[in-house]
Parts: sequence; C-alpha cells; structure tokens
Amino acid sequence: MADTPIPLEVRDITKRFGNTEVLKGLSLQAQKGDVITLIGASGSGKSTFLRCMNLLEQPDQGELIVHGESIRFKETKKGREPADWKQVVNMRAKLAMVFQSFNLWAHMTLLENIIEAPVHVLGKSKQEATEHARQLLERVGLGDRADYYPAQMSGGQQQRGAIARALAMDPEVMLFDEPTSALDPELVGDVLKVMRDLAEEGRTMIVVTHEMAFARDVSTQVIYLHQGQVEEAGAPDQVLGNPSSERLKQFLAPKH
Amino acid sequence: MESLTNWLDNLLADNSIFTLQTLSYYGDGLVTTVQLVFLSLIIGLVLAIPLALARGSKRAWIRLPIFFYCYVFRGTPLLVQLYLIYYGVVFVEGIQDTWLWVILEKPFVPALIAFTLNTCAYTTEIFRGAIKSTPRGEIEAARAYGMSWALMLRRIVLPSAFRRALPAYGNEVIFMLHASAIASVVTIMDLTGAARFVYARFYAPFDAFLFVAAIYLCLTFGIIYLFRYLEKRLLAHLKPASG
Repeated sequence: MADTPIPLEVRDITKRFGNTEVLKGLSLQAQKGDVITLIGASGSGKSTFLRCMNLLEQPDQGELIVHGESIRFKETKKGREPADWKQVVNMRAKLAMVFQSFNLWAHMTLLENIIEAPVHVLGKSKQEATEHARQLLERVGLGDRADYYPAQMSGGQQQRGAIARALAMDPEVMLFDEPTSALDPELVGDVLKVMRDLAEEGRTMIVVTHEMAFARDVSTQVIYLHQGQVEEAGAPDQVLGNPSSERLKQFLAPKH
Repeated sequence: MESLTNWLDNLLADNSIFTLQTLSYYGDGLVTTVQLVFLSLIIGLVLAIPLALARGSKRAWIRLPIFFYCYVFRGTPLLVQLYLIYYGVVFVEGIQDTWLWVILEKPFVPALIAFTLNTCAYTTEIFRGAIKSTPRGEIEAARAYGMSWALMLRRIVLPSAFRRALPAYGNEVIFMLHASAIASVVTIMDLTGAARFVYARFYAPFDAFLFVAAIYLCLTFGIIYLFRYLEKRLLAHLKPASG
C-alpha cells in the first residue's frame, strides 16, 4: 500500500513566452484523493501551470513525474522537448483534462466522443467502452443525450459530457481548466455538483477555478498564484479563511 | 429490348437529326465524359489529401513547391494547361520511341492528366482551408487524450475537415463536369464533342447543343442531389437541435 506511486508530482516548473517569464519555479504534489485548487487573477499563470502538467505547454525547466515515472526531456535548438513522445502519450492517457470551452469533437455524437479515446488510445473493445460510457452518462445526468451532437446541447450539458469523457479514461488525475468559466450562471451549479461528487468519491483532481465556494468546500489544498509564483498555499480554511498575504486578501475581497 | 427500339424508332420517325445513329454518338460521348471526369476527380482527390497536409508543413521546402503548384494550376486557364500537355508532350525528346507514346498519342490520357492536375490543385486548396479551420480546442483535446499525430489526423482532423469541405468540393465536382467540355477541342468525342459532330453534320446548332445542354443539366442535378444527401447525413452535427 505504501508503495503506491504518487499520482502526479511536478517540481520547479519554469516557463517563458518570449521575454515574459510566466512560471517562476512552481511545484506541486498530488497524493491519491487530493483535490488541489489553483486560484489567482488572470495572467497569474494558473492555466499555463495546469497545461504544463500534461505537456500541452512545454515547460522550459523542471521535472514531471506521473505515477512514479519521470518524463524524459531532451534539449533541442528550439528549447526543451520530450525525449520520447510515446511516453508523453502514455502519460496523457493517465491525466484526463476538462477544458474551459469543453472541446468536445463536434463531428461525433456525445457517446462517440466518450468512447473515442478509450477505444483508440487505450485499446478497449468498443462494446466495453460503450457500456462504460452509458454508465458515465447516467452519472452526469445525460443518459438521454448519448446520440446528440455537441452543438445540440447546452454549455452545461457539453461540459458534463466532457467530464464523462475524462472519466472514461479511468484517469489517475483529472485536470480541470476553469471548467465553469464559459458557462451561463444558471448552468454552473450542475457542473459543480458533478465535480463535488467526484471529489467525494476520492478522485485526484487539480482544478483551476474562480469558484471560491467550491475551492473552500471541496479542496484539500488551495494554491494562490501571483505572477507565476506561489503567493500562498495550504488548507482551504487557512488560505481562504485567514489569508496572510495582502494581495490574496484583496483578491478574495468582495468586488462590489 | 426490341419493343424499346421500336418505340424509339417511331418516336424518331419524323426526325432527321436525332436518329439512333446520332443518339449513339451522344451516348458514347456521355460515357467518355463520365469516365474523364470521374477518373480525374478520384485521382485528384486521392492526391489532394497528402498534398493538403504537406501544404501546411512547417518546412518551407515541402510547403512552397505545393503552394507553387496550386498557384500555377489555379492561376492559368484549364484550356491552356490542356494545350500544353496535349501538344507539348510531342516535343519531349525521344518520347515517341518509348512505350509511353502508346498511351500519350491518344488524346484521352493527356486530357486526363491535365484535368487531374487541375482539379487536384483546387481540391488541395479546399482541403487545406478545411484542415486549417479545425477548431484549436478539438486538436488540443485530441492531444490531451493521448492521441498520436497520426491517430489525431485519422480520427479528428480529417473526418472533421472532410465534412467542412463537402459543400465547396461539391462545387468543384460540378465545375469539373462543365470544364470537361473543353476536352472536345483536342478531338476527344466527349458529350460536347458529340454535339459538335452532330452540329457539323446537320448544321443544326440549336438541336445539337440544346440537347447536350440538357444532358449536362441532368448530370449536374444528379451531383447536386448527391451532395445534398451527403451534407444532410454528414453535416447533421452542425445543425442545432430543433425542439
């Protein structure tokens, strides 16, 4: 039991876009069952940090260890790149991502979206994947939407569908990139409820969000980023309830 | 079969132009036109897919020649391209002594080459645009879910691009059908070639060409109908739900 590898660990990630250093040495360790929320103003680097975790962005420096396996990098003329793309592909299959704008594949029905990666990336049988997908759709409250195309669903439905697509991978860690920011206010609740359920059943999650109530109630750890650095981190009660940083106090203060 | 021939004979009894003989010219012309258009479209389509992908390559030595090819073939009249290939090939040193001459001597193959190169250039551009307009987020999702480049191309980018390209490609098919009429100027007896023959024989321009125009119209209608059907089936995902 004690030997179970840590699902995800990142160490000293740095990233620059041109002359701007957006991440200045960020680390994070997600133990099994952790729900880590990343908060911060726009431009603080929280989304970039999350995207570095599955290498949608290439970090310039730092280590990435997924389920005990360290990702190998090599130096090229254009900067650092993964040495072995097969390893990256395997690693990504363990970290399922939920995007701000859902990013469901528009030419596929919801069901096809969900079984796509399990069948073609993980090599599951279509029948097995379909059965699993139908259970997941029931879970996120979309049992009757299996044959709908994304364009025929509301944003909230699409995002819950996207969460089902992530769950279908049986991921080690789920990465959420501002999952409710593109939704109409009245649709946010359904998505958050699904996410709360996932946290309760012990899913390991890393969530970039502006939903402070969610962060307070659900997370095991809150990290407040400012200009690519950790300004404050810790248990939600402490970070959100009794912040020591002046900046975080301002960030949390009611805006109106 | 015999009753049909009798019926036709009766129908054509008072008619000096549309005899069974001239109808068979049109019939052969129809076959030639369909062969020419169909073959050039199929070959052009197959070649256009890799070209469209390579056209977006980061490497200039891959991208630029394809850009140049598309630019030249879209930027010059098909008739000129046909002349260049049909008349020009004779002047290639020593070609008449090789086996190639056996097929190039007849006009069908040079015309097929010209049409194929032309439609391939247009199709490449159509697909290029469709591939380029694949939503970024969908590509990102494919990468995030562990798809390799080849898998992403096969499962996400190309199926989605083909669907988007469908209406534009339907126009290209109709364009090729109509452009194929110029095959007749290099002595191919296609539909228009047959019409010219009938016109010259009977000196009846309206009968000869209106008849062939009607055949083209029917073919065009068929193509439009086919693409309507395909769009209805394959572009269902772009329609918002009703109710």
